[in-house]
Amino acid sequence: MLDQVKQKAKEILEKKEADGVLGLRKGLFDVIHPHVFTVPSELDALVLEPKWLFAKMARAILREKPQAWRLAVIVRGCDERAIVELVKRNQIDRERLLTLGYACDMDQAKACLCSRPFPQKLDAGAAVEGVDPLADERVKAYLEGDAGKRMEMWAAQLKRCIKCYGCRNSCPICVCVPCKLEDDVWVERGVIPAEMISFQIIRAFHLSDTCVACGACQEACPVGIPLMTLQLSMREALKKDYNYEAGLDANRKSPVLFDFAKEPRPGQAVPDWVDSMGKKP
Amino acid sequence: MNPEFIRTICPYCGTGCGLVLKVEEGRAAATYPDRENPVSRGSLCVKGWVAHEFVHHPERLTSPLLRKGDRFEEISWEEAIALAASKLKETAAKYGPDSIGGLSSAKCTNEENYLFQKLIRAAFKTNNVDHCARLCHAATTVGMLQTLGSGAMTNSISDLAGADCILFIGSNAAESHPVLMGEVYKALDRGAKMIVIDPRETPVARNAHKLLRLNPGTDIPLLAGMMRHIVDKGLHKTGFIEKRMENFEALKTFLQAWPVEKAAKETGIDEAVIREVAETYARAENAAIVYCMGITQHACGAANVIAVCDLAMLCGHVGKPFSGIYPLRGQNNVQGACDMGALPNLYPGYQAVADAAIREKFQKAWKADLSDKPGRTVTELINAAGKDIRALYIMAENPCISDPDVNHVMEALQRLDFLIVQDIFLTETAKFAHLILPGACFAEKTGTYTNTERRFQLLHKAVNPPGKAMGDFEILCLMGKALGLAFDCNSPADVMSEYAGLVPAYAGISFNRLERAGIQWPCPDESHPGTRFLHGEKFTRGLGRFVIPDYTPPMEKPDAEYPYYLNTGRVFAHYHTGTMTRRSPFLNREIEDPYVEIHPEDAAALGVGAGDWIRVTSRRGSIVTTARITDRVVKGSIFAPFHFTEARANMLTNPVLDPACKTPEYKVCAVKMEKDHEAKAR
Repeated sequence: MLDQVKQKAKEILEKKEADGVLGLRKGLFDVIHPHVFTVPSELDALVLEPKWLFAKMARAILREKPQAWRLAVIVRGCDERAIVELVKRNQIDRERLLTLGYACDMDQAKACLCSRPFPQKLDAGAAVEGVDPLADERVKAYLEGDAGKRMEMWAAQLKRCIKCYGCRNSCPICVCVPCKLEDDVWVERGVIPAEMISFQIIRAFHLSDTCVACGACQEACPVGIPLMTLQLSMREALKKDYNYEAGLDANRKSPVLFDFAKEPRPGQAVPDWVDSMGKKP
Repeated sequence: MNPEFIRTICPYCGTGCGLVLKVEEGRAAATYPDRENPVSRGSLCVKGWVAHEFVHHPERLTSPLLRKGDRFEEISWEEAIALAASKLKETAAKYGPDSIGGLSSAKCTNEENYLFQKLIRAAFKTNNVDHCARLCHAATTVGMLQTLGSGAMTNSISDLAGADCILFIGSNAAESHPVLMGEVYKALDRGAKMIVIDPRETPVARNAHKLLRLNPGTDIPLLAGMMRHIVDKGLHKTGFIEKRMENFEALKTFLQAWPVEKAAKETGIDEAVIREVAETYARAENAAIVYCMGITQHACGAANVIAVCDLAMLCGHVGKPFSGIYPLRGQNNVQGACDMGALPNLYPGYQAVADAAIREKFQKAWKADLSDKPGRTVTELINAAGKDIRALYIMAENPCISDPDVNHVMEALQRLDFLIVQDIFLTETAKFAHLILPGACFAEKTGTYTNTERRFQLLHKAVNPPGKAMGDFEILCLMGKALGLAFDCNSPADVMSEYAGLVPAYAGISFNRLERAGIQWPCPDESHPGTRFLHGEKFTRGLGRFVIPDYTPPMEKPDAEYPYYLNTGRVFAHYHTGTMTRRSPFLNREIEDPYVEIHPEDAAALGVGAGDWIRVTSRRGSIVTTARITDRVVKGSIFAPFHFTEARANMLTNPVLDPACKTPEYKVCAVKMEKDHEAKAR
């Protein structure tokens, strides 16, 4: 698959479909890092692992370049979805960006509990079937069953937070400036753990209709908080009640912002099990 | 132009997380976690994420500076090196070799530390070289050497994830070694028990199953009470003790003096709790003890360490995976600075200077005449400044904030005939220098750091030092040559092969083996994969030894005049003397002002509200700081982070030393407090 991606990337540069290709490069001392390939011969150093999402970086690169400059991004499914979300929010000009999509393998899909381990525009590799994250035992433990017990589990996890901001830094969609997590009104400075409601839950809600379930936040978390699980319930609610999934359709706006008028039957908007924060302690 | 990405190691704590620096047009522009680093595996703490922020700070030193009266003038490197060498030589000639002293640095690389101690020892025939390990884990080196034979952390960080019981004593790893806590939480998610022994309710304590808030400085009574209960209940590992240990009878005799009732009285912990915790630790299949400054920074720090080792060995929790003793190293390379012999009594690899055969080996290798007399420690060097010590060469240390009783330190430094400070900023210490040499920070050098789990890890140079500043390695080479030594070391890799040839435990380590994963010493030959845990078949000293820990209560207890205990330590957003973190905008935003933690009842009694300015005074000094009102501290105790130059906690601390290891008692002294009404105007 790597060769296939390299070949397509070379074609993109040769045919001048884009001025640069953003992907991973094995560089000096074998360090693997994001890189904008601009000459076809450079692409010999292209690699696809480890998982690294480029959406936010693509936005930054395009902002620095002149309007006529176009970028191709080598993407997995989650990264493609993240780009779609940034396009919807006018953070990326779709006219200036094209994607070169490849499918993740089954191991990767399982590791990420990914339900869509492939991009919609698939250029390399064969799509494998996704994993239902809600069938995972650990996820179930956090999202189903006794609310009081789940509340305790979440509290125990979230009070481990050392406020590294790694979840925000690694998120492909977190682009707000200034960031609410750096606002004194919400987040008290100088103390850890970060407050559960005003830091963790605000972060989760900020991303509730944007999160593409890539799991980058969880992977960057030094203390292993199941941050992606925290998003799953909201993703699921949107799917169930609005048939909406972040990152799939660039033309469909978030129902949280636009669909209040055509809401489903009253009382049905939030399924019973989407109360994983339970009663107040 | 495309940015470059350079893999290196975090310059803050001893965990040793992997960083990837993004370099744009010669400047470190961003930091990413290194997903391939075996220690941090793609995670970082808040300090790591912004490690690039201080690198290009406008206050970086960019030229050698010479004191002219009360100001500094820029001079050339040629002048600076010639002056430094001639002043040191002059002093040695006039007052004898032992009038020269050097403070090496736990912030610098192994190769720089090796060169520094070699320079002091070979050029001046003195062993007056030490570094800040004296202020933190000297007690560990001394205590663990007697019991196990090696002062290093016995196991690997990742072993913590497999432990069934983790006992924290005097470690607030959630703030001080945040990324390492991830392994602890993996253990908890598997169902492990976590017990924290600390007078403060730290972020670590908040995640524990049990918190034992003992009276300050009563660690030995607590550990002795636990051991007594274990022996009484017959929970000690008899087979292990018979086969692997010596001196058990003496320990039993000692424990006769510590019935659990007495331990409870001394520590303020319930008898039942002591018994329960002792049983949990002893019965666990694999149990780990994590400890830090709360054990070592006491007047009986070495004895505290011995008591920790005794407990672990009594239960057979040493010499196997997922258990062991974890003295968490503070500085990024404090393990390495000790390993490289930046210690007054030991050559590289913990080889004694007093041993004639060892000395002979180093004399031959270094082609120099070496002293057989152990040198002075950090605190002794400073105390003797201007008396027996006439000239001091300080590389990247900041004793004017980090040493106890800093008023005394500042007086002492001013008594010196000549003070050289090599650093990256004009530190509080550099202000007293006669000559300042501008060095390089982590992003500007190639070399190795050794993390708390004995792992040599590689740094790659990402950017150039600012202005005329130079790598510490290059400065040391110039200094060595100016002092007449054969310092023709071409590269850090060459220096590594030199010390690998002198220390059997590092013999198999070379630069080309370190890319990505690093190697944990001992690594005796080139095919050896490195060592995950120590003391497996036998202890480093042969048999493990139960040593009797002599209990000394804190030297200064609260009284009518100074009614509060003061405890000092670190916070998550800052690092040590704040030289780097307080110049990092993101970190300084998180915590801008100095503070002390005060219990609500004490605050009410003093009429102090949250954020009020208060004056804290001890017998040695006085600071003005702000109040944080919290029950993280117990009534009658306050806690002060020591990072703040405008309110140095170490103005207050007691410089009394543990006689065995010369570590000061930072963790306990007596203070008084009052609301500072004038400060409002500031």
